[in-house]
Amino acid sequence: MSAAVAVLGSRYRGDDAVGPLVGDRLREAGLSVLDCREEPTRLLDAIEGLDLLVVVDAVRSGAEPGTIHRLESHGEPLPGDLALASTHAFGIAETLELARALGRAPRRVVVLGVEGARFGLGEQPTPAVAAALDALTAQVRAELAEP
Amino acid sequence: MSEPETREIRTDYLARVEGEGAMLIRLRGDELEEVQFKIFEPPRFFEALLRGRQYTEAPDITARICGICPIAYIASACNAMEAVCGVDLPDELRALRRLIYCGEWIESHVLHTAMLHAPDFLGYDGAVELARDRRDLVELALRLKKAGNTLMRVIGGREVHPINLRVGGFYRAPTVSELQALVPELEWARDAAVELTRWVAGFEFPDYEQDYAFVGLRQPGEYAIERGRIVSSTGLDIDVSEYEHHFTETHVERSNALHSTLEGVGPYLVGPLARYALSSELLSPLAREVAAEVGLGPVCRNPFRSIVVRAVETVYAADEALRLIAAYERPAEPWVDVVPRAGTGHGCTEAPRGICWHRYEIDDEGVILDAKIVPPTSQNQKVIEEDLVGVVRQSLHLPEDELAHRCEQTIRNYDPCISCATHFLKLEIERM
Repeated sequence: MSAAVAVLGSRYRGDDAVGPLVGDRLREAGLSVLDCREEPTRLLDAIEGLDLLVVVDAVRSGAEPGTIHRLESHGEPLPGDLALASTHAFGIAETLELARALGRAPRRVVVLGVEGARFGLGEQPTPAVAAALDALTAQVRAELAEP
Repeated sequence: MSEPETREIRTDYLARVEGEGAMLIRLRGDELEEVQFKIFEPPRFFEALLRGRQYTEAPDITARICGICPIAYIASACNAMEAVCGVDLPDELRALRRLIYCGEWIESHVLHTAMLHAPDFLGYDGAVELARDRRDLVELALRLKKAGNTLMRVIGGREVHPINLRVGGFYRAPTVSELQALVPELEWARDAAVELTRWVAGFEFPDYEQDYAFVGLRQPGEYAIERGRIVSSTGLDIDVSEYEHHFTETHVERSNALHSTLEGVGPYLVGPLARYALSSELLSPLAREVAAEVGLGPVCRNPFRSIVVRAVETVYAADEALRLIAAYERPAEPWVDVVPRAGTGHGCTEAPRGICWHRYEIDDEGVILDAKIVPPTSQNQKVIEEDLVGVVRQSLHLPEDELAHRCEQTIRNYDPCISCATHFLKLEIERM
Protein backbone atom coordinates (compact mmCIF):
# COMPACT_ATOMS: atom_id res chain seq x y z
CA MET A 1 0.00 0.00 0.00
CA SER A 2 1.34 3.45 -0.87
CA ALA A 3 0.74 5.99 1.84
CA ALA A 4 1.97 9.43 2.84
CA VAL A 5 1.61 11.87 5.69
CA ALA A 6 1.12 15.58 5.08
CA VAL A 7 1.43 18.11 7.88
CA LEU A 8 0.03 21.61 7.75
CA GLY A 9 0.54 24.68 9.86
CA SER A 10 3.02 27.23 11.04
CA ARG A 11 5.55 26.65 13.78
CA TYR A 12 5.30 30.27 14.75
CA ARG A 13 1.56 30.51 15.36
CA GLY A 14 0.70 28.83 18.67
CA ASP A 15 -1.37 25.67 18.27
CA ASP A 16 -1.02 25.86 14.50
CA ALA A 17 2.42 24.32 15.12
CA VAL A 18 0.86 20.95 15.91
CA GLY A 19 1.23 19.66 12.32
CA PRO A 20 4.93 20.53 11.96
CA LEU A 21 5.65 19.19 15.50
CA VAL A 22 4.06 15.84 14.69
CA GLY A 23 6.02 15.93 11.42
CA ASP A 24 9.27 16.28 13.40
CA ARG A 25 8.44 13.24 15.52
CA LEU A 26 7.51 11.14 12.50
CA ARG A 27 10.72 12.15 10.71
CA GLU A 28 12.75 11.23 13.79
CA ALA A 29 11.12 7.81 13.56
CA GLY A 30 12.35 7.56 9.98
CA LEU A 31 9.11 8.32 8.16
CA SER A 32 8.94 10.69 5.26
CA VAL A 33 6.55 13.57 5.69
CA LEU A 34 5.15 15.99 3.10
CA ASP A 35 5.41 19.56 4.08
CA CYS A 36 2.34 21.45 2.95
CA ARG A 37 4.00 24.77 2.81
CA GLU A 38 4.71 23.43 -0.63
CA GLU A 39 2.66 25.14 -3.26
CA PRO A 40 -0.37 23.12 -4.36
CA THR A 41 0.80 21.97 -7.77
CA ARG A 42 3.79 20.24 -6.21
CA LEU A 43 1.68 18.70 -3.48
CA LEU A 44 -0.55 17.41 -6.25
CA ASP A 45 2.36 15.45 -7.70
CA ALA A 46 3.36 14.13 -4.30
CA ILE A 47 -0.06 12.67 -3.53
CA GLU A 48 -0.88 11.29 -6.96
CA GLY A 49 -2.01 7.70 -6.98
CA LEU A 50 -1.60 7.14 -3.23
CA ASP A 51 -3.74 4.56 -1.50
CA LEU A 52 -3.80 6.62 1.66
CA LEU A 53 -2.99 10.20 2.60
CA VAL A 54 -2.99 11.15 6.28
CA VAL A 55 -3.28 14.90 6.88
CA VAL A 56 -2.44 16.47 10.23
CA ASP A 57 -3.57 20.01 10.98
CA ALA A 58 -4.86 22.21 13.77
CA VAL A 59 -8.60 22.88 13.75
CA ARG A 60 -11.02 25.09 15.59
CA SER A 61 -14.53 23.83 16.25
CA GLY A 62 -15.22 24.86 19.82
CA ALA A 63 -14.22 21.52 21.33
CA GLU A 64 -11.75 21.17 24.23
CA PRO A 65 -8.19 22.10 23.20
CA GLY A 66 -6.19 18.98 22.42
CA THR A 67 -9.22 17.00 21.20
CA ILE A 68 -8.32 14.90 18.16
CA HIS A 69 -10.92 14.93 15.39
CA ARG A 70 -10.85 12.29 12.68
CA LEU A 71 -12.37 12.67 9.22
CA GLU A 72 -12.18 10.06 6.52
CA SER A 73 -12.94 10.38 2.84
CA HIS A 74 -13.14 7.64 0.24
CA GLY A 75 -13.21 9.89 -2.77
CA GLU A 76 -15.99 12.24 -1.74
CA PRO A 77 -15.13 15.89 -1.10
CA LEU A 78 -13.81 16.88 2.30
CA PRO A 79 -15.66 19.69 3.99
CA GLY A 80 -14.46 22.92 2.36
CA ASP A 81 -13.97 24.74 5.66
CA LEU A 82 -11.19 22.34 6.46
CA ALA A 83 -8.86 25.09 5.33
CA LEU A 84 -9.82 27.16 8.34
CA ALA A 85 -6.55 26.87 10.18
CA SER A 86 -4.48 27.20 7.01
CA THR A 87 -2.84 30.50 6.27
CA HIS A 88 -2.72 29.71 2.57
CA ALA A 89 -5.08 30.92 -0.11
CA PHE A 90 -5.11 27.47 -1.68
CA GLY A 91 -5.75 24.97 1.10
CA ILE A 92 -5.33 21.23 1.32
CA ALA A 93 -9.09 20.70 0.73
CA GLU A 94 -8.82 22.58 -2.56
CA THR A 95 -5.68 20.75 -3.58
CA LEU A 96 -7.45 17.44 -2.94
CA GLU A 97 -10.44 18.69 -4.91
CA LEU A 98 -8.16 19.61 -7.79
CA ALA A 99 -6.62 16.13 -7.56
CA ARG A 100 -10.12 14.64 -7.67
CA ALA A 101 -11.08 16.69 -10.72
CA LEU A 102 -7.96 15.40 -12.44
CA GLY A 103 -8.50 11.81 -11.37
CA ARG A 104 -5.36 11.85 -9.24
CA ALA A 105 -6.75 11.85 -5.73
CA PRO A 106 -5.56 9.35 -3.12
CA ARG A 107 -7.97 6.44 -2.74
CA ARG A 108 -8.50 7.27 0.92
CA VAL A 109 -7.82 10.46 2.88
CA VAL A 110 -7.75 10.61 6.67
CA VAL A 111 -7.61 13.99 8.34
CA LEU A 112 -6.48 14.18 11.95
CA GLY A 113 -7.35 17.59 13.26
CA VAL A 114 -6.25 18.75 16.67
CA GLU A 115 -8.43 21.30 18.41
CA GLY A 116 -6.37 24.43 19.02
CA ALA A 117 -7.07 27.44 21.20
CA ARG A 118 -4.54 30.07 20.26
CA PHE A 119 -2.97 30.92 16.94
CA GLY A 120 -1.16 34.22 17.52
CA LEU A 121 2.22 34.95 15.98
CA GLY A 122 5.03 33.98 18.35
CA GLU A 123 2.75 32.19 20.82
CA GLN A 124 3.54 28.78 22.31
CA PRO A 125 1.16 25.85 21.82
CA THR A 126 -1.34 25.46 24.69
CA PRO A 127 -0.40 22.72 27.21
CA ALA A 128 -3.37 20.57 26.20
CA VAL A 129 -2.26 20.59 22.57
CA ALA A 130 1.37 19.89 23.49
CA ALA A 131 0.15 16.99 25.64
CA ALA A 132 -1.75 15.52 22.66
CA LEU A 133 1.36 15.22 20.50
CA ASP A 134 2.30 11.69 21.61
CA ALA A 135 -1.18 10.32 21.11
CA LEU A 136 -1.44 12.04 17.75
CA THR A 137 1.89 10.69 16.52
CA ALA A 138 0.84 7.21 17.58
CA GLN A 139 -2.47 7.59 15.80
CA VAL A 140 -0.77 8.63 12.55
CA ARG A 141 1.40 5.53 12.77
CA ALA A 142 -1.64 3.36 13.47
CA GLU A 143 -3.46 4.81 10.46
CA LEU A 144 -0.46 4.01 8.27
CA ALA A 145 -0.22 0.48 9.62
CA GLU A 146 -3.84 -0.27 8.82
CA PRO A 147 -4.20 -2.14 5.54
CA MET B 1 -34.37 65.18 -4.00
CA SER B 2 -33.07 62.26 -2.06
CA GLU B 3 -29.41 61.64 -1.34
CA PRO B 4 -27.80 59.37 -3.91
CA GLU B 5 -27.44 55.80 -2.75
CA THR B 6 -24.00 54.91 -1.43
CA ARG B 7 -22.40 51.60 -2.24
CA GLU B 8 -19.30 50.02 -0.89
CA ILE B 9 -17.77 47.04 -2.58
CA ARG B 10 -15.18 45.31 -0.53
CA THR B 11 -13.22 42.13 -0.76
CA ASP B 12 -11.68 41.43 2.58
CA TYR B 13 -9.44 38.70 1.34
CA LEU B 14 -8.51 38.55 -2.31
CA ALA B 15 -8.24 35.04 -3.67
CA ARG B 16 -5.80 33.69 -6.23
CA VAL B 17 -2.99 36.09 -5.44
CA GLU B 18 0.23 35.48 -3.56
CA GLY B 19 -0.07 36.96 -0.08
CA GLU B 20 -2.67 38.95 1.74
CA GLY B 21 -4.32 42.10 0.48
CA ALA B 22 -7.66 43.86 0.19
CA MET B 23 -9.56 46.31 -1.92
CA LEU B 24 -12.09 49.03 -1.12
CA ILE B 25 -14.17 50.92 -3.64
CA ARG B 26 -16.61 53.58 -2.44
CA LEU B 27 -19.30 54.94 -4.74
CA ARG B 28 -21.90 57.68 -4.18
CA GLY B 29 -24.60 57.03 -6.73
CA ASP B 30 -22.54 56.61 -9.84
CA GLU B 31 -19.74 58.84 -8.61
CA LEU B 32 -16.56 57.09 -7.62
CA GLU B 33 -15.42 58.49 -4.30
CA GLU B 34 -12.48 56.35 -3.38
CA VAL B 35 -10.40 53.40 -4.50
CA GLN B 36 -7.86 51.68 -2.30
CA PHE B 37 -5.74 48.69 -3.02
CA LYS B 38 -4.36 47.64 0.35
CA ILE B 39 -1.58 45.32 1.23
CA PHE B 40 -1.77 44.11 4.80
CA GLU B 41 0.55 41.17 4.62
CA PRO B 42 2.69 41.90 7.65
CA PRO B 43 6.04 43.49 6.91
CA ARG B 44 8.92 41.09 7.21
CA PHE B 45 11.85 43.43 7.70
CA PHE B 46 14.21 41.64 5.34
CA GLU B 47 16.24 44.77 4.77
CA ALA B 48 16.93 45.09 8.50
CA LEU B 49 17.81 41.46 9.03
CA LEU B 50 20.36 41.60 6.20
CA ARG B 51 22.43 44.15 8.11
CA GLY B 52 25.41 42.53 9.76
CA ARG B 53 25.25 39.46 7.53
CA GLN B 54 27.93 38.51 5.01
CA TYR B 55 27.64 39.70 1.40
CA THR B 56 27.60 36.05 0.34
CA GLU B 57 24.42 35.41 2.36
CA ALA B 58 22.22 37.99 0.62
CA PRO B 59 21.11 35.73 -2.27
CA ASP B 60 19.94 32.90 0.00
CA ILE B 61 18.33 35.20 2.56
CA THR B 62 16.45 37.32 0.03
CA ALA B 63 15.34 34.20 -1.89
CA ARG B 64 13.06 33.50 1.10
CA ILE B 65 11.06 36.59 0.26
CA CYS B 66 9.22 34.52 -2.34
CA GLY B 67 8.59 30.84 -3.02
CA ILE B 68 7.43 31.54 -6.57
CA CYS B 69 10.22 33.82 -7.78
CA PRO B 70 13.29 33.09 -5.63
CA ILE B 71 15.63 33.33 -8.64
CA ALA B 72 14.67 36.97 -9.11
CA TYR B 73 15.93 37.74 -5.61
CA ILE B 74 18.98 35.52 -5.87
CA ALA B 75 20.01 36.97 -9.24
CA SER B 76 19.43 40.61 -8.26
CA ALA B 77 21.39 40.13 -5.03
CA CYS B 78 24.25 38.37 -6.86
CA ASN B 79 24.38 41.10 -9.51
CA ALA B 80 24.57 43.75 -6.81
CA MET B 81 27.34 42.01 -4.85
CA GLU B 82 29.34 41.34 -8.00
CA ALA B 83 28.94 45.02 -8.91
CA VAL B 84 30.27 46.22 -5.53
CA CYS B 85 33.27 43.93 -5.83
CA GLY B 86 33.99 44.86 -9.44
CA VAL B 87 33.41 41.39 -10.88
CA ASP B 88 31.95 40.82 -14.32
CA LEU B 89 30.41 37.39 -14.52
CA PRO B 90 31.93 35.35 -17.40
CA ASP B 91 29.50 34.80 -20.26
CA GLU B 92 29.02 31.09 -19.64
CA LEU B 93 28.01 31.67 -16.01
CA ARG B 94 25.79 34.57 -17.01
CA ALA B 95 24.09 32.25 -19.52
CA LEU B 96 23.52 29.63 -16.83
CA ARG B 97 21.94 32.25 -14.56
CA ARG B 98 19.68 33.23 -17.46
CA LEU B 99 18.82 29.59 -18.06
CA ILE B 100 17.60 28.92 -14.53
CA TYR B 101 15.70 32.21 -14.69
CA CYS B 102 13.88 30.86 -17.77
CA GLY B 103 12.68 27.98 -15.56
CA GLU B 104 11.30 30.46 -13.06
CA TRP B 105 9.50 32.45 -15.77
CA ILE B 106 7.87 29.25 -17.03
CA GLU B 107 6.66 27.96 -13.65
CA SER B 108 5.53 31.35 -12.37
CA HIS B 109 3.81 32.48 -15.59
CA VAL B 110 2.02 29.16 -16.08
CA LEU B 111 0.80 29.01 -12.49
CA HIS B 112 -0.71 32.46 -12.82
CA THR B 113 -1.96 32.23 -16.39
CA ALA B 114 -3.69 28.88 -16.23
CA MET B 115 -4.52 28.27 -12.59
CA LEU B 116 -5.10 31.71 -11.08
CA HIS B 117 -6.05 34.13 -13.86
CA ALA B 118 -7.75 32.05 -16.58
CA PRO B 119 -10.72 31.16 -14.30
CA ASP B 120 -11.60 34.89 -14.24
CA PHE B 121 -12.18 34.96 -17.97
CA LEU B 122 -14.17 31.74 -18.07
CA GLY B 123 -16.50 32.39 -15.16
CA TYR B 124 -15.05 29.78 -12.85
CA ASP B 125 -14.41 30.30 -9.15
CA GLY B 126 -10.96 28.82 -9.48
CA ALA B 127 -8.73 26.11 -10.82
CA VAL B 128 -10.80 23.26 -9.35
CA GLU B 129 -13.91 24.18 -11.37
CA LEU B 130 -11.74 24.78 -14.42
CA ALA B 131 -10.17 21.33 -13.99
CA ARG B 132 -13.60 19.67 -13.86
CA ASP B 133 -14.55 21.14 -17.24
CA ARG B 134 -11.21 21.44 -18.98
CA ARG B 135 -9.08 18.69 -17.55
CA ASP B 136 -6.95 18.65 -20.73
CA LEU B 137 -5.89 22.27 -20.28
CA VAL B 138 -5.18 21.96 -16.58
CA GLU B 139 -3.12 18.83 -17.26
CA LEU B 140 -1.22 20.72 -19.94
CA ALA B 141 -0.57 23.63 -17.59
CA LEU B 142 0.59 21.36 -14.77
CA ARG B 143 3.02 19.55 -17.02
CA LEU B 144 4.27 22.83 -18.45
CA LYS B 145 4.79 24.27 -15.01
CA LYS B 146 6.65 21.15 -14.02
CA ALA B 147 9.02 21.58 -16.97
CA GLY B 148 9.95 24.97 -15.54
CA ASN B 149 10.32 23.53 -12.05
CA THR B 150 12.52 20.72 -13.36
CA LEU B 151 14.85 23.20 -15.03
CA MET B 152 15.13 25.02 -11.69
CA ARG B 153 15.81 21.78 -9.84
CA VAL B 154 18.46 20.48 -12.22
CA ILE B 155 20.44 23.73 -12.14
CA GLY B 156 19.46 25.01 -8.71
CA GLY B 157 19.37 21.80 -6.67
CA ARG B 158 15.69 22.17 -5.80
CA GLU B 159 12.66 23.98 -7.19
CA VAL B 160 11.72 26.19 -4.30
CA HIS B 161 14.51 28.38 -2.94
CA PRO B 162 17.28 26.77 -5.02
CA ILE B 163 20.54 26.29 -3.14
CA ASN B 164 23.13 26.01 -5.90
CA LEU B 165 23.49 29.68 -6.78
CA ARG B 166 26.09 31.93 -5.20
CA VAL B 167 27.72 35.30 -5.59
CA GLY B 168 30.07 34.78 -8.55
CA GLY B 169 28.17 31.91 -10.15
CA PHE B 170 27.20 28.42 -8.97
CA TYR B 171 28.49 25.89 -6.47
CA ARG B 172 28.34 23.23 -9.15
CA ALA B 173 27.75 23.60 -12.87
CA PRO B 174 25.46 21.00 -14.43
CA THR B 175 26.99 18.61 -16.94
CA VAL B 176 26.10 18.90 -20.61
CA SER B 177 24.20 15.63 -20.46
CA GLU B 178 22.18 16.71 -17.41
CA LEU B 179 20.93 19.68 -19.41
CA GLN B 180 20.55 17.73 -22.65
CA ALA B 181 18.23 15.35 -20.83
CA LEU B 182 15.80 18.24 -20.40
CA VAL B 183 15.55 19.00 -24.10
CA PRO B 184 12.65 16.71 -25.09
CA GLU B 185 10.43 18.00 -22.30
CA LEU B 186 11.37 21.62 -23.06
CA GLU B 187 10.54 21.06 -26.72
CA TRP B 188 7.18 19.75 -25.62
CA ALA B 189 6.87 22.76 -23.29
CA ARG B 190 7.56 25.20 -26.10
CA ASP B 191 4.74 23.69 -28.18
CA ALA B 192 2.45 23.52 -25.17
CA ALA B 193 3.12 27.19 -24.44
CA VAL B 194 2.07 28.04 -28.00
CA GLU B 195 -1.16 26.11 -27.37
CA LEU B 196 -1.61 27.93 -24.05
CA THR B 197 -1.15 31.27 -25.82
CA ARG B 198 -3.77 30.45 -28.46
CA TRP B 199 -6.17 29.33 -25.74
CA VAL B 200 -5.89 32.47 -23.57
CA ALA B 201 -5.89 34.75 -26.61
CA GLY B 202 -9.37 33.43 -27.37
CA PHE B 203 -10.81 34.79 -24.12
CA GLU B 204 -13.09 37.82 -24.13
CA PHE B 205 -11.27 40.88 -22.86
CA PRO B 206 -12.89 43.94 -21.33
CA ASP B 207 -12.36 46.89 -23.62
CA TYR B 208 -10.02 48.93 -21.47
CA GLU B 209 -6.72 50.64 -22.20
CA GLN B 210 -4.48 53.03 -20.35
CA ASP B 211 -1.59 55.08 -21.57
CA TYR B 212 0.89 53.51 -19.18
CA ALA B 213 4.45 54.59 -18.52
CA PHE B 214 6.21 51.25 -19.01
CA VAL B 215 9.41 50.55 -17.09
CA GLY B 216 11.65 47.55 -17.60
CA LEU B 217 15.14 46.35 -18.33
CA ARG B 218 16.55 46.49 -21.81
CA GLN B 219 19.62 44.64 -23.00
CA PRO B 220 21.00 44.94 -26.52
CA GLY B 221 20.43 41.78 -28.54
CA GLU B 222 18.27 39.89 -26.05
CA TYR B 223 14.91 40.11 -24.33
CA ALA B 224 16.10 41.34 -20.93
CA ILE B 225 15.83 38.91 -18.04
CA GLU B 226 18.91 38.72 -15.79
CA ARG B 227 20.56 42.03 -16.69
CA GLY B 228 20.09 45.27 -18.59
CA ARG B 229 19.64 49.01 -18.26
CA ILE B 230 16.47 50.43 -16.78
CA VAL B 231 14.47 52.07 -19.55
CA SER B 232 10.98 53.50 -19.85
CA SER B 233 8.50 54.27 -22.60
CA THR B 234 8.85 57.90 -21.51
CA GLY B 235 12.52 58.06 -22.55
CA LEU B 236 14.37 57.06 -19.41
CA ASP B 237 17.55 55.05 -20.04
CA ILE B 238 19.74 54.63 -16.96
CA ASP B 239 22.19 52.29 -15.34
CA VAL B 240 20.60 50.29 -12.50
CA SER B 241 22.80 52.22 -10.05
CA GLU B 242 20.93 55.44 -10.92
CA TYR B 243 17.52 54.07 -9.98
CA GLU B 244 17.15 56.08 -6.80
CA HIS B 245 17.82 59.34 -8.64
CA HIS B 246 14.71 58.81 -10.73
CA PHE B 247 12.33 56.71 -8.66
CA THR B 248 10.82 57.56 -5.28
CA GLU B 249 9.21 55.26 -2.77
CA THR B 250 6.58 56.70 -0.46
CA HIS B 251 4.82 55.12 2.46
CA VAL B 252 1.02 55.18 2.23
CA GLU B 253 -0.83 54.58 5.48
CA ARG B 254 -3.24 51.95 4.17
CA SER B 255 -0.54 49.70 2.81
CA ASN B 256 2.40 47.80 4.21
CA ALA B 257 4.09 48.12 0.82
CA LEU B 258 5.72 51.32 -0.37
CA HIS B 259 4.30 53.13 -3.40
CA SER B 260 6.77 53.96 -6.18
CA THR B 261 6.72 56.81 -8.67
CA LEU B 262 8.97 57.80 -11.57
CA GLU B 263 10.09 61.39 -11.33
CA GLY B 264 8.35 63.69 -13.80
CA VAL B 265 6.01 60.87 -14.83
CA GLY B 266 4.23 59.50 -11.78
CA PRO B 267 2.97 55.94 -11.47
CA TYR B 268 4.45 53.39 -13.83
CA LEU B 269 3.94 49.80 -14.81
CA VAL B 270 6.46 46.96 -14.60
CA GLY B 271 6.07 43.35 -15.74
CA PRO B 272 5.10 41.51 -18.91
CA LEU B 273 3.23 44.41 -20.58
CA ALA B 274 6.19 46.72 -19.97
CA ARG B 275 8.85 44.26 -21.11
CA TYR B 276 6.85 43.47 -24.20
CA ALA B 277 6.33 47.13 -25.06
CA LEU B 278 10.00 47.93 -24.54
CA SER B 279 11.57 44.91 -26.24
CA SER B 280 9.03 42.87 -28.22
CA GLU B 281 11.34 42.93 -31.28
CA LEU B 282 13.94 41.05 -29.23
CA LEU B 283 11.73 38.02 -28.61
CA SER B 284 12.67 34.85 -30.47
CA PRO B 285 11.19 34.42 -33.97
CA LEU B 286 8.73 31.80 -32.70
CA ALA B 287 7.52 33.99 -29.83
CA ARG B 288 7.14 36.95 -32.21
CA GLU B 289 5.27 34.78 -34.67
CA VAL B 290 2.86 33.54 -31.99
CA ALA B 291 2.35 37.11 -30.71
CA ALA B 292 1.48 38.26 -34.22
CA GLU B 293 -0.81 35.28 -34.79
CA VAL B 294 -2.87 36.08 -31.71
CA GLY B 295 -3.09 39.74 -32.64
CA LEU B 296 -0.72 41.41 -30.20
CA GLY B 297 0.75 44.52 -31.78
CA PRO B 298 4.19 45.81 -30.77
CA VAL B 299 2.62 47.42 -27.67
CA CYS B 300 -0.33 46.17 -25.63
CA ARG B 301 -2.08 48.71 -23.37
CA ASN B 302 -5.00 46.54 -22.29
CA PRO B 303 -4.00 45.14 -18.87
CA PHE B 304 -6.53 42.30 -19.21
CA ARG B 305 -4.49 41.06 -22.17
CA SER B 306 -1.41 40.73 -19.95
CA ILE B 307 -2.41 37.07 -19.70
CA VAL B 308 -1.66 36.74 -23.41
CA VAL B 309 1.68 38.49 -23.06
CA ARG B 310 2.54 36.21 -20.14
CA ALA B 311 1.80 33.19 -22.35
CA VAL B 312 3.96 34.61 -25.15
CA GLU B 313 6.77 35.12 -22.66
CA THR B 314 6.35 31.48 -21.64
CA VAL B 315 6.89 30.46 -25.26
CA TYR B 316 9.97 32.67 -25.26
CA ALA B 317 11.33 31.26 -22.01
CA ALA B 318 11.06 27.69 -23.29
CA ASP B 319 12.58 28.67 -26.62
CA GLU B 320 15.40 30.61 -24.95
CA ALA B 321 16.09 27.73 -22.54
CA LEU B 322 16.51 25.41 -25.52
CA ARG B 323 18.85 27.88 -27.21
CA LEU B 324 20.95 28.23 -24.06
CA ILE B 325 21.14 24.48 -23.55
CA ALA B 326 22.19 23.94 -27.18
CA ALA B 327 25.04 26.43 -26.69
CA TYR B 328 26.06 25.14 -23.25
CA GLU B 329 29.54 23.94 -22.50
CA ARG B 330 30.33 23.05 -18.92
CA PRO B 331 32.40 25.92 -17.50
CA ALA B 332 35.86 24.97 -16.22
CA GLU B 333 35.05 26.67 -12.91
CA PRO B 334 31.46 26.95 -11.68
CA TRP B 335 32.14 30.27 -9.99
CA VAL B 336 34.54 33.17 -10.00
CA ASP B 337 36.05 34.58 -6.82
CA VAL B 338 34.34 37.69 -5.61
CA VAL B 339 36.58 39.43 -3.07
CA PRO B 340 34.74 41.90 -0.87
CA ARG B 341 35.59 45.56 -0.93
CA ALA B 342 33.83 48.48 0.69
CA GLY B 343 31.21 50.16 -1.43
CA THR B 344 27.66 50.16 -2.69
CA GLY B 345 26.35 47.88 -5.42
CA HIS B 346 23.09 47.64 -7.33
CA GLY B 347 21.40 44.74 -9.02
CA CYS B 348 18.21 44.57 -11.04
CA THR B 349 16.60 41.69 -12.91
CA GLU B 350 13.25 40.97 -14.55
CA ALA B 351 11.24 38.92 -12.07
CA PRO B 352 8.17 37.35 -13.71
CA ARG B 353 6.12 40.29 -12.33
CA GLY B 354 8.60 43.02 -13.27
CA ILE B 355 11.87 44.57 -12.21
CA CYS B 356 13.27 43.54 -8.84
CA TRP B 357 15.85 46.09 -7.71
CA HIS B 358 18.42 45.68 -4.91
CA ARG B 359 21.03 47.96 -3.36
CA TYR B 360 23.61 46.87 -0.78
CA GLU B 361 26.34 48.70 1.04
CA ILE B 362 29.12 46.46 2.36
CA ASP B 363 32.42 47.03 4.15
CA ASP B 364 35.89 45.62 3.37
CA GLU B 365 35.10 42.46 5.30
CA GLY B 366 31.98 41.88 3.24
CA VAL B 367 29.59 42.73 6.07
CA ILE B 368 26.30 44.21 4.84
CA LEU B 369 25.83 47.70 6.32
CA ASP B 370 22.64 48.64 4.51
CA ALA B 371 20.18 47.01 2.14
CA LYS B 372 17.24 48.15 0.07
CA ILE B 373 14.95 45.93 -1.98
CA VAL B 374 12.24 47.15 -4.34
CA PRO B 375 10.06 44.28 -5.53
CA PRO B 376 7.83 44.52 -8.61
CA THR B 377 4.39 44.43 -6.98
CA SER B 378 5.02 47.46 -4.80
CA GLN B 379 5.97 49.37 -7.94
CA ASN B 380 2.70 48.38 -9.61
CA GLN B 381 0.42 49.31 -6.70
CA LYS B 382 -0.31 52.82 -7.89
CA VAL B 383 -1.08 51.68 -11.44
CA ILE B 384 -3.36 48.96 -10.05
CA GLU B 385 -5.34 51.65 -8.21
CA GLU B 386 -5.54 53.76 -11.36
CA ASP B 387 -6.78 50.75 -13.33
CA LEU B 388 -9.41 50.15 -10.66
CA VAL B 389 -10.64 53.74 -11.04
CA GLY B 390 -10.81 53.38 -14.82
CA VAL B 391 -12.42 49.96 -14.77
CA VAL B 392 -15.03 50.91 -12.14
CA ARG B 393 -16.01 54.08 -14.05
CA GLN B 394 -16.51 51.94 -17.12
CA SER B 395 -18.38 49.17 -15.31
CA LEU B 396 -20.84 51.01 -13.05
CA HIS B 397 -23.76 49.40 -14.91
CA LEU B 398 -22.69 45.98 -13.67
CA PRO B 399 -24.46 44.36 -10.73
CA GLU B 400 -22.53 44.44 -7.48
CA ASP B 401 -21.10 40.93 -7.60
CA GLU B 402 -20.01 41.28 -11.22
CA LEU B 403 -18.43 44.63 -10.49
CA ALA B 404 -16.57 43.17 -7.53
CA HIS B 405 -15.39 40.31 -9.69
CA ARG B 406 -14.26 42.65 -12.45
CA CYS B 407 -12.24 44.58 -9.90
CA GLU B 408 -10.56 41.46 -8.54
CA GLN B 409 -9.77 40.45 -12.09
CA THR B 410 -8.21 43.89 -12.61
CA ILE B 411 -5.91 43.30 -9.68
CA ARG B 412 -5.05 39.79 -10.84
CA ASN B 413 -3.97 41.26 -14.21
CA TYR B 414 -0.79 42.10 -12.37
CA ASP B 415 -0.19 38.66 -10.90
CA PRO B 416 0.47 40.58 -7.70
CA CYS B 417 2.89 38.94 -5.35
CA ILE B 418 1.82 40.58 -2.16
CA SER B 419 4.13 38.52 0.03
CA CYS B 420 7.02 39.97 -1.93
CA ALA B 421 5.71 43.52 -1.82
CA THR B 422 5.44 43.81 1.92
CA HIS B 423 7.36 44.69 3.40
CA PHE B 424 -3.55 39.58 3.18
CA LEU B 425 -5.94 40.81 -0.42
CA LYS B 426 -9.24 42.29 0.67
CA LEU B 427 -11.77 43.86 -1.71
CA GLU B 428 -14.38 46.42 -0.74
CA ILE B 429 -16.74 48.36 -2.98
CA GLU B 430 -18.82 50.89 -1.07
CA ARG B 431 -21.82 52.56 -2.70
CA MET B 432 -23.26 55.50 -0.83
